[in-house]
Order: sequence, then structure tokens, then C-alpha cells
Amino acid sequence: MNDFSELENELKKLRPLSASPELFSRVEQGLTNVTSDDTLSGKVIRPERFRINWLSFGIALGAAAVLLIFARLDLNRSMKNVPVIASVTPAPRVANAMPANQFVPAGVSQIIYHSRDEGLIFPGESAQPVRRVRSQMRETSQWRNPATGASLRVSYPSEQVELIPVSGQ
Amino acid sequence: MENVATDESWRTSFSELAPGLLLFARQWVRSGADAEDIVQEAFVKFWRRNHNVNNRALLYATVRSIALDLIRRDSRRARREAEAYSDAEQAVEPKFEIADESQRLLGNAVDRLPREQSEVLVMKIWNDLTFAEIAETLGISQNTAASRYRYALAALKKDLLPQ
Repeated sequence: MNDFSELENELKKLRPLSASPELFSRVEQGLTNVTSDDTLSGKVIRPERFRINWLSFGIALGAAAVLLIFARLDLNRSMKNVPVIASVTPAPRVANAMPANQFVPAGVSQIIYHSRDEGLIFPGESAQPVRRVRSQMRETSQWRNPATGASLRVSYPSEQVELIPVSGQ
Repeated sequence: MENVATDESWRTSFSELAPGLLLFARQWVRSGADAEDIVQEAFVKFWRRNHNVNNRALLYATVRSIALDLIRRDSRRARREAEAYSDAEQAVEPKFEIADESQRLLGNAVDRLPREQSEVLVMKIWNDLTFAEIAETLGISQNTAASRYRYALAALKKDLLPQ
């Protein structure tokens, strides 16, 4: 016992005010919102880099569009400077079939360089487990201008998350 | 123990903890409504992160952090609170259920304590935190927490002595 035991007892007799019923409702509402948020997201936290990859994808597409525009402008300019020369040689059939100065898709590749099994999870309120497999890959798209032989290649990293249903049988 | 937001266990925990948490929050704000805002945000955040509700040091640290953030966010409020604290006799909403005159005097004396002493006193007396938990909440040593508690009691005793 110390010198303050009597004072401590007096202090403990002081009762703090109770919480209002409104506070209970507000907390309940807050927790309910939280629960629905969690359910919607399946309690799977999306990694930052996944979102960043979407950003990279957008930037890459933007860069590709700008490159295409510049390529067209350059070709137009160079075409204007070239004097028209009469030729008896028939133009190649391919060049006639394809509009000049136009890039056409030449190929798409997808290389998976890392794949990781992250184990079983229970998405949302589901009782059925699923296996989550995360794969990192690099996707490359290529375009080619048949008239000039110029090519354009856009490559970007991407990540894919697969949820594979697992049977307990 | 894992918190599950969908069940009613939060209600039991909150019923037990709310009065002490509100009293703790009232140290930074002068109105009960503001204290309820702080406690609501803290409890929902705490529960959402599935923290163990027995980890009271973390729970009180959450309340304290949100209260300080609130004051920092609103400089006008901070000035208002500072002015209110500089004039402790100013009438504010009661924090306790007052039964008689001696309790009113005691409650007023608690209000006049320096913040660093009153927060230790509130956690110790009305929330039953140990000095270890108080120290963890405030980021101080257990000895410092115990000293502040003793200083608070000494100040109250001196304040309540008949003049």
C-alpha cells in the first residue's frame, strides 16, 4: 500500500460517462462497411507492383502511339522530298495491297519468366479453397511497315494472378 | 483472439472499453462528440486490422494517434483546445458521472493536471492498464510512466487539500 491508496480509491469511484447509443450505431456501421469492403475484394491484397504494371502498360501504349505518329510524319516528309520517277518496273503486289506508311501487327509474344504457387486461400466468404498462382511475364507486341520495312516493338512486364479451384476429393 | 467484424463480439468488447476510451480521448478534445469521433475511428480501424483486442497498448496508442492527427489537421481546433486548456476553470462538458460535491471537485482537479500526467492517470485508474502497457502506448519507459502517475496523484492530493 502506498500513501495514495485512499486517493486512488476515490478516483476509481468516479465513473466515466458511458458511450451513447449513437456511437454504437456508428461503430456498427463502420464495421459493416469494412466487412462489405473486405468481401468485395476477396481479402486478396493486390500488390503495388501489379498496379504499377498497369501504369507501365499505359505508358508503353502512349509511347507506342507517339512513335507511330512520328513515324508517319517522317515518312510523309521523306515521301514529299523524293522526286517522282517514272518507272517501268511494276510495283510489288504486296505494296499495292497494303496502304503505304501503315504499320500492321507482326506478332505478339508472352514469356513467363517466373511463376509462384502462393498456396490455398479462401476468397471472400467462400468455403471452397482455391489455389493462387502468381506469374510474372513479359509481353511483346510488334508492328511492321511493309512499305518501308520499319518495325516497332513494345515490350512491357505484366503480372497475372490465377485462382484455381481445388477439389478436396 | 481474432476479431471478426461480422459477429457480435465487437459489441461486448466495445461496451467494456468505450467509457475508458472516451475518457482517454477527451484529454485532447473538449467535447464528448469529438471524443466519440476519435473513438469510433480508432476502434473501427483497430478491429478492421484484426488486432487482438487484448492488446490494449496498441488500442490506446491508436486512439492517441488519431486524436493527435485530428488536432494537427485542424490548427484552429488546436488553438481552441490550447486556449481551453490554459483556462481550466472554463466550463466544459463533464467527463464523469458526478454523484456529489467531492466527486465534482475531484473531477475538476483531474482536469487541471498536466496532459502527460493525466493521460497516465486515465489509463491506469479508469482503464486498468499496467505500467508496461502505458509505457508501450506512450513510447516511454515504465519508470517514467510510474513517475508520472505518482506526480499526478501527488498533484491531486495537493490540489484537494483544504486551503
